[in-house]
Amino acid sequence: MSLLQRDRQIIVSNEYVDHFDFAEVEEFVKNASKDLFISHKFKQNQDKTLVQPRGGFPTYEKMFALYEHFKKADVDVLPCTIDSHTRLNDYASAAKMLRLSEETETDMLNGYPLITQGYRTTRKMMTHFNTPISLRHGTPDARLLVDMAIASGIFEIEGGPITYLLPYSKNFPLDKAFLYWKHVERVCAKYSPLNEPINRESFGPLTATLVPPVITIVIQICEMLLSLEEGVKSFSVSFSQTGSLNQDVVTAAVLRKSAKKYAKKIGCEDATINLVYHQWMGAFPRDKEKSDCLINTSTLIAGMVKANKIITKTRAEAFGIPTKEDNAQAVSNVKYTLNMLKGLPNIVDEEEEENLTNMVDEVFEAIFNDKADTLWRKIFNSIKNGTIDVPFSPHIINNNEVITVRDPQSNIRIYKKGAMPISDKSFKYEQSKIKLGEDKNSIVNQIIKDIGVML
Amino acid sequence: MKVVTGVVGNDIHVVANRLIDISLQQRGYEVFNLGVNTYLEEFIDAVIETDADILLISSLNGEAEGWCRDLHFLKQKYQLKDIIFVIGGNLSVGESTTDEIVPKYKEYGFDLVFHQVDLIEGLDTLDDYVKGLKI
Repeated sequence: MSLLQRDRQIIVSNEYVDHFDFAEVEEFVKNASKDLFISHKFKQNQDKTLVQPRGGFPTYEKMFALYEHFKKADVDVLPCTIDSHTRLNDYASAAKMLRLSEETETDMLNGYPLITQGYRTTRKMMTHFNTPISLRHGTPDARLLVDMAIASGIFEIEGGPITYLLPYSKNFPLDKAFLYWKHVERVCAKYSPLNEPINRESFGPLTATLVPPVITIVIQICEMLLSLEEGVKSFSVSFSQTGSLNQDVVTAAVLRKSAKKYAKKIGCEDATINLVYHQWMGAFPRDKEKSDCLINTSTLIAGMVKANKIITKTRAEAFGIPTKEDNAQAVSNVKYTLNMLKGLPNIVDEEEEENLTNMVDEVFEAIFNDKADTLWRKIFNSIKNGTIDVPFSPHIINNNEVITVRDPQSNIRIYKKGAMPISDKSFKYEQSKIKLGEDKNSIVNQIIKDIGVML
Repeated sequence: MKVVTGVVGNDIHVVANRLIDISLQQRGYEVFNLGVNTYLEEFIDAVIETDADILLISSLNGEAEGWCRDLHFLKQKYQLKDIIFVIGGNLSVGESTTDEIVPKYKEYGFDLVFHQVDLIEGLDTLDDYVKGLKI
């Protein structure tokens, strides 16, 4: 038995898991309908932007009803968002809250407790709709979750050691997260040759608070490389609406080109790389009509950047967890808008692209030059020493020295670069765009204004 | 002057915490930021370790009251004198007026209490308070 298989045996031997039949699951994946694989759907719809909402409910019945609503709205990809107890591997609380949800018909969980529901039950729902499903979770240790998801017919796994940790946790050890995610990548890679490949997706929005595109791109590519080097063959890099149309177009172009370049650098150019666009992830206006305008604008941008998939928000964003009706309406509206976006002009801003590409390369040069022997250790060291620095991360390992603000065109610019290895030339370019007031509070006032740019 | 700051309790409101950090630095303070999810004992430890002049606790989700009742006890235990204790943010879970909240927190041992006060206005008051002490 391989080391990986022995680890998996131990992980599924959990009191909250019914007997896990690896041989049966392998047969299931081998014979599963191609329509369940988003990697297959991407191949078939290369010029189309697939639409995926967010959502998850605790009980089977509510989840089923949500999917029915989405299907009526002609959804392309279904979400399976996991509840927060399961995300933190607290399966006992998830089980208790699921029981309470079933008994009281009130949702006591903010998502679907996949471990508690089990793969035998969940698979019935997933195969019934015969549509690709994406696992959305936020778990630093998703080793059990990944096997449970694939066994259920969920063939896209979101997340990664950096993007699911730095925005969400204060002190979960980052080195552990890298090793746990290495296991996840290996499980995805192991299933990939049996049928269509399992798709992995990174979570580009990070803290969704003034994250400069260079950081987003570097982290997207880091997680992609860690995944490809374990044998994953289909990967989606992603980012969220920055608040500037031009910066979104530039970010998409540089992310695409750089992802390809660095995949080739480690000898993994055979993998398929997709681009995913998140509608605005920052604070929404407390006004449903204005929210509709914001959502519509981001749909237009997804069309402009030719995203392979868009992940939607709803007009009820400012008011808590959206209802299935609000959610389905959002899907239907986004599909309507996308449908009219044909033959869009191709905007290229060479100067901006060049500056962003340079910054990405400058940071990667430092990462690759780190003295550690493996890629994950190089990346780990780079986060620890501030080469990679995520604004507004609550995690203790994050360097917290980088400060960003918006320029008059709403582009996110680097005001203080901290320990990021950005060249004088690139940094000067960023600085030249910033316009700030004179008094001592101007930087703080500017940041407050820039975070709330869509309010 | 040295300031220890952070968000008390199981509160992960990181944006305000970072803004306080940046503002304090901008005003010339030396900042030791313990970040979000910090317990009162950790604040006190940091104050002693860094020999800080000011402890600035923030709370956004309103759970500060439960955490800060022990401040008097800890002040006495570690004989913390000449340190300015400041708390600010959203200091109660339900609806409460400033007139109700400020005396309560002063009773707990805080010198300055800012309930739903604008960040810049609060720090201006702190600056004035510090200047007043020097004179």
